[in-house]
Amino acid sequence: MQHSFLDSYSGLDSPLRRLDPRAKLAGLFIFVLLCVTTPPNLYVAFAAYLVLELMLLFLSRLPWRHVAARVLVVLPFILAVALFLPFFKKGGGSYNLGPLSVSGHGLLVLWNVAAKSTLSVLAVILLSSTTPFADLVKGMRKMRVPELLTSLLSFTYRYIFVLTDEAQRMRRARDSRGWKGRWLWQARTVGHMVATLFLRSYERGERVYAAMLARGYDGSLPMVYGYSFGDAEWAFVCLVVLAPLAARVLSYGLLAV
Amino acid sequence: MHIPDGFLNAGTSAVTGAVSVGAVGYGLYRARKELDEKRVPLLALCAAFVFAAQMLNFPVAGGTSGHFLGGVLAAVLLGPWLGSLVIALVLLVQALGFADGGVTALGANVFNMALVGTVLSYFVFAGFKALLPRNRASFLGAVAAASWLSVMLASGACAVELAVSGTSPLGVALPAMLGVHAIIGIGEALITTAVVAVVLQVRPDLVGSWDLASSGGYALETTGVS
Repeated sequence: MQHSFLDSYSGLDSPLRRLDPRAKLAGLFIFVLLCVTTPPNLYVAFAAYLVLELMLLFLSRLPWRHVAARVLVVLPFILAVALFLPFFKKGGGSYNLGPLSVSGHGLLVLWNVAAKSTLSVLAVILLSSTTPFADLVKGMRKMRVPELLTSLLSFTYRYIFVLTDEAQRMRRARDSRGWKGRWLWQARTVGHMVATLFLRSYERGERVYAAMLARGYDGSLPMVYGYSFGDAEWAFVCLVVLAPLAARVLSYGLLAV
Repeated sequence: MHIPDGFLNAGTSAVTGAVSVGAVGYGLYRARKELDEKRVPLLALCAAFVFAAQMLNFPVAGGTSGHFLGGVLAAVLLGPWLGSLVIALVLLVQALGFADGGVTALGANVFNMALVGTVLSYFVFAGFKALLPRNRASFLGAVAAASWLSVMLASGACAVELAVSGTSPLGVALPAMLGVHAIIGIGEALITTAVVAVVLQVRPDLVGSWDLASSGGYALETTGVS
């Protein structure tokens, strides 16, 4: 079991953890929508979004190191796609950075994607690290997402850990035999591993299915939903929707002055 | 290739989102029809398998590494629509559970990888298969060519979306994306072909698009209960 990095803190008790998953799903989704549609020059609004998220992070009692490490997952994409922009885009005035010239418009686009993607990924981490995935899926089912999709999601999530374990066992076996992934043609070895993983998974799926049928499975899973949408939930949704909205309007007003 | 939030404009997110919701809906409809609604665990295991397989990085060049996409593999094994449902499930779990790929960019990611990289690439594969002679070698050749193309098509679609959103100019993003993915695509083709070859050998009944007479192999009958 070395995959505990995948979902380590969703069991941690906190006020955020106890909220109905529906409130967190809807509230944080609207928050992300508000964030990505904010014009990039409303700097005050982005600062307010960050403050709100840090407040929620404090409430969630998540270790900040863990959160920071997970926010970094967006970094490669920003680096690959957007870092060169200030040097290629034209317009918006230009600044000199040693021998390189940097365009103002390109810088604004870089700021735009870097700020929005970081803030959004933090919001999703706040959602996923304070909600066990099973409860998230139950919330989705309560929100009338088709049952076939929600049961597929929860099975997929369950099996991910089983298969990751299997894949890691295979990788350890391969590496202990001196494999170094250095050349492209060694992808063949990875191919054989993936094939073995597929066959083992599929045959495991067949066995699980037979076992479920033997226990009376008829296509639907009974659900116990331990949450209710009360005052705390309404307060949370109002906070994560109205506060950013207010910040956005205020920031727009400041810009117009 | 998982686009985070904030890289796409509202129009691109909305259009790709609408198309993707339609495609996932159609995939669910096909799953209900073809899998008698109860073989959910098998489909979910395929999705978990693609997720786990994506964690195996393979070397590209100069220290960078690419990972497997799995679109063509899923389509060749399960057919285009169930394959695309599987890839969409993987993306949904990655976006919600692991913050990998944005939630407002989910539509675009599903469009690129589950539609362009899976459904469209399946039809490319079917085209190659129809043109080539009917034997095992050309079946695997069609798989390899379609997997390489699937990565190119998906990354091309990604570059076009970024350009339409005004994030990066097409003249820079498209060659850069295609250049990197031309190499990643070779890994994708090698892995997909190796997997399909092994599965054809051991369980030819699992390769949905294999319509030639199976040559030997053994079949474990574990699904005899119904």
